[in-house]
Amino acid sequence: MTAIAVRRSDPAHDLALQGALERLTGGAVERPDTPDGWVTAVRRLPARDAAYGAFPDAIDPRLRAALEARGIERPYTHQAEAMEHALAGRHVVITTPTASGKTLCYNAPVLSRILTDPSSRALYLFPTKALAQDQLAELHALSDVLSTPGDLEIGVFTYDGDTPQDARRAIRGRAHIVLSNPDMVHAGILPHHPRWAKLFENLRYVVIDELHAYRGVFGSHLGNVLRRLRRVCRHYGSSPTFICSSATIANPRELAQALVEEPFELVETSGAPAGEKVFLFVNPPVVNQQLGIRRSYLSETRRVAGEFLKRDLQAIVFAQSRLATEILTTYLKDDFGSVPGAAERIRGYRGGYLPQRRREIEKGLREGQVRAVVSTSALELGIDIGALDVAVMAGYPGTIAATWQRAGRAGRRTTRSAAVLVASSAPLDQFVVRNPSYFFDASPEHALVNPDNLQILLDHVKCAAFELPFSGQESFGSHPVNEVLAVLAEHGFVHRIDEEDGTATWQWTSESYPADAVSLRSISSDNFVIVDTTRGADVIGETSFTSGPETLHEKAIYLLEAQLYQVERLDFEGRKAYVRQIDCDYYTDAITYTKVTVLDACAPNRGEVHVTSRVVGFKKIKFYTNENIGSGELDLPEQEMHTTAWWLTVPEQVMEGLPFAPDDRRDGIVGLSFALRQVAQLLLMCDRQDIGVSIDSGAEDDGEPRIFIYDNYPGGIGFSEPLAVKHGELLAHAQALIAGCPCAQGCPGCVGPLGDIGPLAKAVALRMLQALRQDPAAIEAAPAADEVPF
Amino acid sequence: MPRVPPAGSGVAPELREGEGAEPGAGSARATNAAEALGGEWAGEGSRRYLVVERRYGASHLHGHVSVGDLLPTAGGAWPGFGFLPGAAAQPEGPPLLFLDLETTGLAGGAGTYAFLVGCAWFADDAFVIRQFLLSAFTAEAVLLSAVERLASGFGALVTYNGKSFDVPLLENRLALHRMPGRLPDLPHVDLLHPARRLWSDLSGEGGGCRLMTLEEAHCGYVRVGDVPGFEIPARYFDFVRSADAEPLAAVLEHNRLDLLTLAAMTARVSAMLASAADGATPREQLGVGRLLEAAGRVTEATACFTLAAAGAVAPSPVRREALRRLAMGLRRERKYAGAAEAWQALLESPGCSTAYAREAAEALAIHHEHRRRDPARAREFAAASLRHGQSERTATALRYRLARLDRKLGSGAGGTLDL
Repeated sequence: MTAIAVRRSDPAHDLALQGALERLTGGAVERPDTPDGWVTAVRRLPARDAAYGAFPDAIDPRLRAALEARGIERPYTHQAEAMEHALAGRHVVITTPTASGKTLCYNAPVLSRILTDPSSRALYLFPTKALAQDQLAELHALSDVLSTPGDLEIGVFTYDGDTPQDARRAIRGRAHIVLSNPDMVHAGILPHHPRWAKLFENLRYVVIDELHAYRGVFGSHLGNVLRRLRRVCRHYGSSPTFICSSATIANPRELAQALVEEPFELVETSGAPAGEKVFLFVNPPVVNQQLGIRRSYLSETRRVAGEFLKRDLQAIVFAQSRLATEILTTYLKDDFGSVPGAAERIRGYRGGYLPQRRREIEKGLREGQVRAVVSTSALELGIDIGALDVAVMAGYPGTIAATWQRAGRAGRRTTRSAAVLVASSAPLDQFVVRNPSYFFDASPEHALVNPDNLQILLDHVKCAAFELPFSGQESFGSHPVNEVLAVLAEHGFVHRIDEEDGTATWQWTSESYPADAVSLRSISSDNFVIVDTTRGADVIGETSFTSGPETLHEKAIYLLEAQLYQVERLDFEGRKAYVRQIDCDYYTDAITYTKVTVLDACAPNRGEVHVTSRVVGFKKIKFYTNENIGSGELDLPEQEMHTTAWWLTVPEQVMEGLPFAPDDRRDGIVGLSFALRQVAQLLLMCDRQDIGVSIDSGAEDDGEPRIFIYDNYPGGIGFSEPLAVKHGELLAHAQALIAGCPCAQGCPGCVGPLGDIGPLAKAVALRMLQALRQDPAAIEAAPAADEVPF
Repeated sequence: MPRVPPAGSGVAPELREGEGAEPGAGSARATNAAEALGGEWAGEGSRRYLVVERRYGASHLHGHVSVGDLLPTAGGAWPGFGFLPGAAAQPEGPPLLFLDLETTGLAGGAGTYAFLVGCAWFADDAFVIRQFLLSAFTAEAVLLSAVERLASGFGALVTYNGKSFDVPLLENRLALHRMPGRLPDLPHVDLLHPARRLWSDLSGEGGGCRLMTLEEAHCGYVRVGDVPGFEIPARYFDFVRSADAEPLAAVLEHNRLDLLTLAAMTARVSAMLASAADGATPREQLGVGRLLEAAGRVTEATACFTLAAAGAVAPSPVRREALRRLAMGLRRERKYAGAAEAWQALLESPGCSTAYAREAAEALAIHHEHRRRDPARAREFAAASLRHGQSERTATALRYRLARLDRKLGSGAGGTLDL
């Protein structure tokens, strides 16, 4: 946001907030953490004063005047610093909290450069189309003031899948600033670069907003899209400066450097003012000690949000799914809805709502008629909704970074605000809420990418060869590109031309358009499509080939936009799953037998592995309570994959030292692997399906059981190395998770639901961890460094 | 007779020894392609491309059409050519460059390129075809500049579907090599559009307008052993990989036949535009009328529509379309009585679609209300038009008309008609 809204501290507002907080904390707003309490933690984040810098001399005076006219007489320190770097042509990555004016950090240098040299062009990348639309409005406001009709008209356009065909040519000719997304650059812009010659010849800046969104597979793809982009720029003689902005993650500079493959400057200290914020962790009470079942976190969220709403504070409530969003919206409307006929005070907001409706809700929030919005992560990113009084999160958002970003939606620059995290019974939630210092005091997650994943690389080398012929001397990432091209030549995609001077050129010799076959959001383009046969045969979705058997086996429940579908038939060869809408109160969880074989250990606890997996059955799990209410058997083809893994070997002396029967020991291993998986997901900042876990019971071989956590992508995505580095931390967190869980014998929050595991699993797993953490042999495997190498 | 022997013939077996040589193995490969395709190398080293030139003398027969009959009259074009969309303003027409590309596919994007640029023109009572063949990608820039040099001597381009395909593709290739290109800015007649006006099936979507269909129908030429279009990229890739140019001979011949037919059809369309009545079918007269109309020759166009309407059999779509165009043309010329006659004939013609009937009835309602001052007849037509179904907007306008007519009838003739 560029406009600075100055609001004086409002005593009535502060009093209302104080009242709600006292009510929630039972009066004790200041107190130590209480892991077993209802409110497990209360933290005060002190107010920050504004720190101002000066506009760099290189900023065009016309831009300066336009900004001053909008009330921005001097930039905050971080804005000044970022502008300075960008104007000097140094790549820069900015990490500052929500609502600190980060867009000015890139808009100012870009617009200034266009004013001084109107041939300059800039490309902005946003992870979603909605964000690009949002930025468009803001940029127009500035560019209109700066344009002089008939002389310099600064063109700002979005260019994405929604751009009408007949408008595209005009945009290519007239846009100074193109707002797009990586998918469009990959499949729509780079393959047609000659049409964009003017842009590429004059490209001065590339802006990547929400950089932290590009991790894992998506980030690894983006790294390659940027390699292609920079290659095309070199061809047209330009060398753009990159300006990236990121939410708070542990390694913004490394991530930017891994994606762009050039050194970056880091700006991380915000000069923007912030009012005091109180952060609460709430854990719904246990209602069934035996099964470890807690009261519904959605009901708790309703109660918490109610305390603020009834004091007329404006709130945003984040839910984890579309279904939960709708449920919470209904709850809050029941409690606080408007009288019929009046404008609705409580609104839901999620993907799938029409753009016009979304704009209306955003406006209602900014202007205050909407008192509460219940949203999925759709409002987590930089959509402008103003700043609210309170953010309530129903469930842990999955990462520290996302949690801070959501919490940042509350808090004006001068008034107090609050954020509340209401934990669900999921293991991750329970760990975080019971170990507040993990969240408040530790560094946030590392975002990991592996642009050199062979599969991803191969796809993009193919796209790059289509765009411009490779010369024999070129490099593309760290792999020798000639080797990759030789593979493509074997399949007829390219042909090597040897020139008389000994150099070589790789000519594209295929009729295909390779970018169409590569999706940036998955690793392999092979997929299953989901066909809804309820009324006719509509394709309603797709799933990657690797996760197909687990999610689309016969009788599986498939969820889409809060609607449940049951798979009636899986056509494995034809890659189609035929589903039909149903109403039921459970979902399914596949039982997969997985065997991991170590191919090449590059350290004592990690290396390349071969994974064979087969879905053999499934369980029916009841919604909310996670009870196991039935099962079925399946017979599906085996899948194989070559990937990377981290592993934990439980030494023989540890196993033998356990005062339990062999069966109970085995249960302990199962329980331990369950907990390790949760903690690994926490440490890796990844999604559940990004990693797989497998147990080698050690019956054959050397008799020592092993737990593998592998990258669930062919070729690996780079998770095993940081897991190996964080070996000790992984075990410590697993121990804290299990030991801190109030259940008696295991529950879905620690070692897995009772019934899936034996009654002693929890006790055995804990003993095992104690022994492992004391055993120097097990610890030795973990290097002492606490940084993740890239 | 062409001075140069046709491609693919007369290559002695001993000259094919370079076959199967290693890619880029220098002169063996070079000799092979030049010999096999009957051309000469231009450029140097890996920047070499092959130029294949053929000359078709006045007596050369393309089907039943002789090159001598195609020769343009003064100024390098034919009378009537200037009426084609995209032709430059000069009535005589500039010297024309016929252009046709063979490409590595239809996918588009930077990886789709022209491996063969076929250029042709009339010179000294002959038709000359010069083809530029890309032997390796590294030669593309020099090849393109040779094409640019050649094009600079011409005043207009003639292509078949070149507005959507060939010229944008060349424009992209020039942009890719960062070369300023003049060829894309030349006046450009894309014969596909006039051909559709003349020969497309009126009930379908531009069917029957493939160049080869026209070639058979209008030149009487039937290709034997022609390469199907979908096979062309693969033949080129095989040549790149194996250096065996032999299979490309048929591709070059395919391209030459396309250029010959393009020239023959351009001459024919120009002649029809110059004098529509001469030996044209009613379908063609309708098309010529529409082309003349688009060129602003309204009187000539109306004459064509009259001929077409008179010549076409009664229940044909050609007659209905001709009547409609005739009515609109006459109305534009303020010949209201003639227009009304045409509308009436259209309304009465068997098989008239509801859309056309609605349009004709509405035009007749206007005519009878304002020109003939006959509200009762006008009301009949307005009511008929409404019965044929309308969009919400036009229906509202019609109801206004009906209400107004009813008022006129009420005050004047008296009485009302039921719908």
